[in-house]
Parts: sequence; C-alpha cells; structure tokens
Amino acid sequence: MSAPSVPVIAQTAGKGAARAAARKRSTAQGSDRRPGWVTYTLLGIAIVASILPLYYAFLLASSTSQYIAQNPIPSLIPQGHFFENVSRVLNSDIKFWQAVGNSVIVAVITSASVVLFSTLAGFSFSKLRFRGRSGLLVFVIATTAVPTQLGIVPLFIVMSKLGWTGKLIAVIVPGLVTAFGVFWMTQYLESALPYELIEAARVDGASMIRTFWHVALPAARPAAVMLGLFTFVGSWTSFFWPFIVLGSSNPTLPVAVQLLQATYFKDMALIMAGVTVSIIPLIILFFVAGRQLVAGIMQGAVKG
Amino acid sequence: MRKTTRKMWAAAAGVTGIALLATACSSGSGTEGEDEPSEGGNITLTVATFNEFGYTDEMFDEYEASHPGVTIEHKKAATSNEARENLNTRLAAGSGLSDIEAIEVDWLPELLQYPDKFVDLTDPELDGRWLGWKQAQATAPSGELIGYGTDIGPEAIAYRSDLFAAAGLPTDRAEVAALLSENGGGWDQYFKVGKQYTDATSKPWFDSAGAIWQGMINQIEAPYENPDDNSIIATENADVKAAYDAVVQAAVGDNLSAHLQQWSDDWNASFQGENAFATMLAPGWMLGVIEGNSAGVTGWDIADVFPGGAGNWGGSFLTVPAQGANTEAAKELAAWLTAPEQQLKAYASKGTFPSQVEAQKSPDLLGSTNEFFNNAPAGEILVNRSEGITEVYKGPNFFAVNDAFNNALVEVDVNGGDPAAQWESAIQAINALG
Amino acid sequence: MATSTTPPRLDRRASSTPPRAPRRVGFSQTLGRWDVKVSPYLYISPFFILFALTGLFPLGYTAFVSMHQWHLIGGQGPFVGFENYAYILQEPNFWKSIRNTFSIFFLSTIPQLMVAIVLAAMLDANLRAKTFWRMGVLLPYVVAPVAVSLIFGRLFSDQFGIINTLLGYVGIDPIGWHSQPFPSHVAIASMVNFRWTGYNTLILLAAMQAIPRDLYEAAVIDGASRVRQFFSITIPMLRPTIIFVVITSTIGGLQIFDEPRLFDQLGQGGPSRQWMTTTMYIYEVGWGNQKSFGRAAAVAWILFLIIIVVGMINFSLTRRISTDNSSKSRKKVKR
Repeated sequence: MSAPSVPVIAQTAGKGAARAAARKRSTAQGSDRRPGWVTYTLLGIAIVASILPLYYAFLLASSTSQYIAQNPIPSLIPQGHFFENVSRVLNSDIKFWQAVGNSVIVAVITSASVVLFSTLAGFSFSKLRFRGRSGLLVFVIATTAVPTQLGIVPLFIVMSKLGWTGKLIAVIVPGLVTAFGVFWMTQYLESALPYELIEAARVDGASMIRTFWHVALPAARPAAVMLGLFTFVGSWTSFFWPFIVLGSSNPTLPVAVQLLQATYFKDMALIMAGVTVSIIPLIILFFVAGRQLVAGIMQGAVKG
Repeated sequence: MRKTTRKMWAAAAGVTGIALLATACSSGSGTEGEDEPSEGGNITLTVATFNEFGYTDEMFDEYEASHPGVTIEHKKAATSNEARENLNTRLAAGSGLSDIEAIEVDWLPELLQYPDKFVDLTDPELDGRWLGWKQAQATAPSGELIGYGTDIGPEAIAYRSDLFAAAGLPTDRAEVAALLSENGGGWDQYFKVGKQYTDATSKPWFDSAGAIWQGMINQIEAPYENPDDNSIIATENADVKAAYDAVVQAAVGDNLSAHLQQWSDDWNASFQGENAFATMLAPGWMLGVIEGNSAGVTGWDIADVFPGGAGNWGGSFLTVPAQGANTEAAKELAAWLTAPEQQLKAYASKGTFPSQVEAQKSPDLLGSTNEFFNNAPAGEILVNRSEGITEVYKGPNFFAVNDAFNNALVEVDVNGGDPAAQWESAIQAINALG
Repeated sequence: MATSTTPPRLDRRASSTPPRAPRRVGFSQTLGRWDVKVSPYLYISPFFILFALTGLFPLGYTAFVSMHQWHLIGGQGPFVGFENYAYILQEPNFWKSIRNTFSIFFLSTIPQLMVAIVLAAMLDANLRAKTFWRMGVLLPYVVAPVAVSLIFGRLFSDQFGIINTLLGYVGIDPIGWHSQPFPSHVAIASMVNFRWTGYNTLILLAAMQAIPRDLYEAAVIDGASRVRQFFSITIPMLRPTIIFVVITSTIGGLQIFDEPRLFDQLGQGGPSRQWMTTTMYIYEVGWGNQKSFGRAAAVAWILFLIIIVVGMINFSLTRRISTDNSSKSRKKVKR
C-alpha cells in the first residue's frame, strides 16, 4: 500500500476538534431560567436603536423637502411620496443603475475570488506540510493587522500608470485576496476537514488538486459561505478607495449616493430616498442570510 | 448533497471566470470604451458638468440630429467642489475624464498651469464671442485658450418683500434699489439698511458671512495673488484685511447674519424657517437655488443694485482634456454649446446668465422675467448688473486661499470663533500652500 | 490526537485495489512527489502574490514617495529626504487630525465595548426567539457607512436637526455638533457605534458561551450573586476577546474616513478641521488643495507607524493576559 500522502499531511486534526468539543460543551448559562421583562425591554431598546435611524431615513424619503425643512421631527407615519422620490433618484444624474451594476460586479468577483483563494491557501496551511509553513502562516496572521488602506498614494500612482483609474478593475484587483480570509479558512479547515478524508483521496491516487476540489472544497462550504457574505458586505459598503479611484464618472453605489448630497440645492427627500434604496439590497440579503452572518461572527470569535 | 456542493462550486468558479473576463474586456477599452476614433464611424462624446448648466436633453438631441454618428452622453453629478476633485484626480491619472469637462472660474487658474493637459481651443472665428475679461480668464500665460466660457454670475440683490414690509422698508424693487444706492451705494449702505432692518425685527439681514465675503472679494482687482508672478499676497493685502474686518463687523458685530454656513443642511432648511434672512447676494445662477429651497415661500424679489458697484460671482467654462480620444469632435461640440443661441436656451432653462456678448443683447434675454421673483425683469437686471464688471485676477492658489478665508469666516460667523484668532489660522493655512 | 490509525474502511479499499504495474507506480510516484512538494506553495501563492502587489508593495512604495517632492498632476519631483515629514510634523492641521482620530477612536471604542458586553450578557440568557434578537442587533452592520453618515449628519444638524430639537424640548441649549470638536466627535463616534456595536456584541456573546459552566456553578455554591458572577467570572474570562475586539477596532478606527468625510457636505472635516481625521488629512494633502503626494505619503507612513505601535501595545497586552488564562488548555492541544 503506497500512501505518499501520509507523511506530508500535518496531523493537526486534534487541535480544531478539541476546540469544537469545547464549543459544544458550553451552552448558554442559566438555561433553565427565562430572563425577566427587564432584559427584554433593554434588548428591545437596542433593537429599536438599530432600526430607528433607518426608519428615519425612510420617513424623510417619503416626504417632500418642504415638509422636511418645516418639520425637524417628522411624523412617524410616512408621507406617501416615497415612490415619487425613489423614481427621482433612479432618473437623476447619479447613474443609479450603473452604480448598482458596478457594485454587484465588484462585490461578486471579490467575494468569489476571496473565497476561492482563501480556501486554497487555507487547505494548504491547515492540511499540508511544507517548509516555511508555520513562518508563512504567522506572516499571514500578522498581515491581518496591516492597514493596507494606507498604501493609497502609491496604489493610486500605479493605477494611473496602468490606466485603470475610473475602471472597476482598479477596485477589484486590490480586493481579490484578504489575509483575514486565509486565516479564517485555515482555522476552519483545521477542524472541519478530517484528515482521514484526505488520506482516503490520496490513497485512491487523487492528485492534490483533485483532493482539494473533491474533498477540501465541500468540507469548507459553511465557512466559505460566511466568508463570502462578509466579503460581499465589506465590498458593497466600502467607500474610500472606490471614491478616490473611480470617482463620480463610474461610481459604485456608496460613491453615487453621496453625490446626491453634493449639490447647492440640497433636496433632503431625494438624498434620503437614495440612501434608502441603496440600503435595501443588503437588508434583503440580511433577511436571507442574517443567520449565517450571526453564526459567522460567533464562530470567528471563538476561533480568532 | 455532495453533488449539489460540487455544482455550486462549479457555478461559483464559472461566475468568477466570466466576471473576470468581463472586466478584463471592459478594462481594455475602458469606461470611454465607445470612444473609438472616428473614421466615419460612430462616436460618443461625454460631457461632464456640475450643478446646473442649463443644457437640456433637447439641445443634445438637436446636435445629434445635425451631426450623424455622434452620440452625446451628459454626466452631471457633482458640485463644483466635487467636480474639481474629480478633474484633478483624473488629470493626474491621465485617463477617465470626459471628452468635455466643465470648470468653474475659481479653480480654472490652477489648471491653467497645465495647458498641455488640455486642447488649445483658440479659434479665430470665435474671437469676440465672449466678454473680454471672460475670455482672458481662460487664457494661459503661454497664450492657449483652454476653455470656452459658458455663463457668468453678475450679482444683484435678492430680497424678501414680505419681510421688508414687516420692517417698514420699501418693497418695490426700484425703491429698494434706490435705498441701497444712497450714500454712494457701497457696502456700508447695505449694512446700514441691514442694521435698520434687524433693529426693527431682530431677524437676520443676510444668510452668511461667506456670501458677503464672496461679494467683496470679487470686487478687488488682485485679492490674493500678484498677477506678475502668482506669489501669494493675500496675507498682506490691506484690501483683503479690510474686507475681512468689514464682514466680521457686519455679521457678528452688528449681528446682521443668520449665522449659517453656505450650502449646509441648516442653510438649506433656513429658507423655510421663521428666522429666514431678508436679503441675499444673487448672481444669476443663485436665483434657481433660492427658488429650489423656498418651496411654499412667497415674497422673493430682485433689486437692480449691488453694493460697491458691479461684481461677478462664479461662472464656468467648457474645456476639452487632451487625454480624450475625440478631441476635435469634442472641441466642435464645446463651441456649439457655448454659442449664444445655446446659452440663451440654457438661460431660459436654468437661469445661467450667458457670457456671450451677442446673447446679452438678445431681446429674449432682455425681455425675460422670473415668475418666482414677483415677475422681476431678471434678464434686464442681470444685463445691467454685468456692466462694469472688471476682471479679478485669480491665480493658481485662488481657490485654496479663498477656502482658508471662508473657513475662518464660518468659524467666526457660525461657530462664534474669535475673529483675530481665526484670521491667524487662515494665514497659517495659506502659508502652508507655498 | 495523532490520527495515524488507519480506519478499517481504508484497509478494505486498499486491498481491493488491483496491484499496479511497477512502471506506472514509478512514474506516478515521481509525479506524486512533485505534486506533493509544489502544490502547497502553489495553493498559497495566489494570496501571497496578490497581497504583495496590492498590499505590501504600495506600503513600501509609500516610503519612497514620501521622500520625494511629488505633485498630484506634475508627478515625481526631486528627492527631498525627510523634508515632507518635517513639514507635516509642524503642521497644526496634522496634529489636529491626530487629536480628532484618537478622540473619535476612544469615543467609539470604549462606550461601544461597554454596551456590547451588557447586550451580550443579556443575549446570553435563555431568551425566547434567540435568533431574532441576535439578528436584530446585527442589522446596522449591513448599512454602508456612507448611508449611516448621511442619516446621522441630518439627525445631528445644528439648527434644524432632530436631536437638537428634542434637546430643546427638555430645555437644553442646542449643541454645536458641526461646530465644536468634541460634540462632532461624539456624533461621528455614534455612527461608528451604531454600525459596530451589534457586531462586537455577537463576538463577546460567543466568548461568553465558551466560558465553562462549572465556574458559574462553583460561584453559585459559594453564594455569589449574578452581578458578582458577572464581574468576577464573566469579565475576566472575556479579557482576551475584549482585547481582540479592541485591536480590530484600532486598525479600523484609526483609519476612519467615510463617516467624518460625509458628516457635512464639504467633506473637509469642518471649517477649522474640528473632525478631520488623519486619513481625511491624507486625502486633503494629496488630492485637495496642496496636491502633494509626497506629503500625503509621509502622513500615511506616520499613521502606519502609529497603528503598528498601538497594535503592538495591544498585542503584548493580549499575550500577557491570554497566557495567564489559557496556557493550560493550549499546552494540551499543541504538539
């Protein structure tokens, strides 16, 4: 029985498994007692605080600018101009649909790429043994703390030289990988990918890439979905770099929305309608995948 | 389960691949990808403006109809500030600008330093189209004309006749003009009437110190920079200091100001408020802003008068960046857009007052009235107001220096800062520009 | 831990595989060895290559640019050594930006952490509809900072804003949210808190759930009240997580741009730079009035060093605390 894979695969399954067990063991404290109304009230206040500013935006978005100027505190009942204002946003000069399209392209590509490359690297770091592995992994972890945003000046110079300014590729390429993603997938695969599965694939004569594709990727799916979601949200909401490198001529959604405020005659109803429609896509995503986000944050906390 | 997983991954990989390909393709040709050089083929010209230039879709349709193969895309997004940042950034990048870029007079000078980044628009046929000082503003020291003038901002006084009436001041626009022209019609007189008004009503006379500052600075021949060598003289120019002191005295000392920062949320909302101000310096383009902010407010009117003589606030140009692919076609379009006929239409649409000599003689312009401003003969008033405007020298640092003074005045006027200390910090900011 | 015990399933399969021809084995072994040797590097290379190009190289090149006169439009000028740094360090606006950045950072980190711990403790209870509450606090996380800032900028308008109007009803003078440094920092910090409190609550909640229950049981036997349990068990056990949260907020918080940039329509950080952060200052120096990439790069590099130093302080703190707490469990797991 030739099993060339045996010596090269780091035997790290125990580490993650121990953690997973620890996680399972610990359940919510006081599980027997339901909390009283105080807890529910305070949590209720927290939820209201999360929603109220967004509702405020919606209220302004459904009134007229005259109404807003005359009523610092709007009535809690929407005024009924919402769709009118939204259609003004859609027909305004900020190229709303182009911005939505740009945001979708950037977010989808960067999420897919981050997930793919992070899973590849995570598989390698967690399950394969190679020289320099631990050093490189430490490097990855260290770079999660590097504020790469501060490299904007040269990044801008380079993008200018390449002729990429004003083009989506200038936003996409710097977002293709993240150190956090690699770290995250490494952590996850360490515990979630049983060493036996890899061994079995190798014994079957599968190449490394086949092993990755048929064994590691499926095992990575839950974490990959979360990583994809976080990357998507991060990309969709980012402003600084797209603002500098894309500008108003070919904007992503946040860059476009802020243009609504940049006029001499500030139409608050219009601005807030723009804000509201720009929020809606991610709110929908949140209702569809919010559980995953919650789970992702909580798992990341235990591991990180 | 496994199968669906695999499918999902395959799909994800596929999407990535396609999307990457898509961007790779689109990045090859870029945002102005439609700009393929014209060999009888179709070209798209992009025109970037800000605020309100008054160019309507009908005008572009007309041009497209008479120029087969040309498609015009109008990008109108940003304020002047935003447009300035965008233009600087793209100019630095060497790509990403529109075929025609609008530029405002205050930051035109900083671009005159780089005439090679723009197409020289000099055209003997167009000599005399613009007011002399307007054309001079867009002419680089080395002689290139980098921009065709669109509009100018001759200033009048807009006032609330209802508030005037409540304070016992005259309401008729001729009487208001006469009142403000008394005693030589300088700024002192404007402030003096303002004091009467605020004494009688305890309400503000004008909106913001920053606006008054604009008015005064635009009457100083060379406020900030030495025309000979562009060295900054703002910090020792006695006229500038005098203007600063006068604005501070009027805004804070006499409390004539509504203590608002121009263009801020509060400024916008204040048009509707109970403590609305009674007057505003009103260049032509401001009339649209006032109207936009004053939904439901009646009583605005315009007086054919301006403190301290004539003054110009703002006004813009169309330039053709050299990085464009169709600069010749863009130049032609820019010339067409800035022709008197088009600028008259723009005026009719958004009140941007034309900078073309011929347009200013047009009966359409002279006969135009503004319904919102109590049917005031806006065209005639602005033509009168444009007489006697002299060129104010604006060098490459004009915008930045003005910004520093504006900030100081906001601190003093809106935030109750100490005038002397704020003057000092403005000086400091200006010195940092060197 | 060591998983070298081959499961029976594998044995069965291996024995049913017909023996391969020797030549093929030799070839596939060569190929296999090559595959085994190269693959690990191949798989991590996309990350390292892309990260080097888009992350590390620009950072390093920043140092190069910062040593030159470098105009936004004019391009690279002569080498000037540390002149840009000297210039920046004597600029009052630079120091203002540092003050603002740290002030906003503290105002957004400390209250946020306290609220997050309390919320996490409540979420840790045996609630009905757990997921609803957890998702509820996380909702603001998906709202873009740009949108948050536009909304809050309006809420905090000086004369016509909802907050000052409400304060007026209870007899408090309007606060100069857009005119005084400290109130503007409070307003901006509130945007950060709005967006991130729920996120950090969930992190802390997860950490709380990982605290072994027997600790609490022992405390109950000792007669400790719930409040006492919270302070003498929960908080100490959360310390590593708290510091983790602080580090993440340090890296993000010290680079804050979106919220202050859109707090008013001009985006300069206020007429006398009341809320201009250091990242905004980088933008202003590089792309604003000065158009000096050299100076902007110098500021970026200084901010980079500040973040590294603050990060290292945090890191050493983390190490000390986490080794105290979890050295035993770590040893058990490590090879």
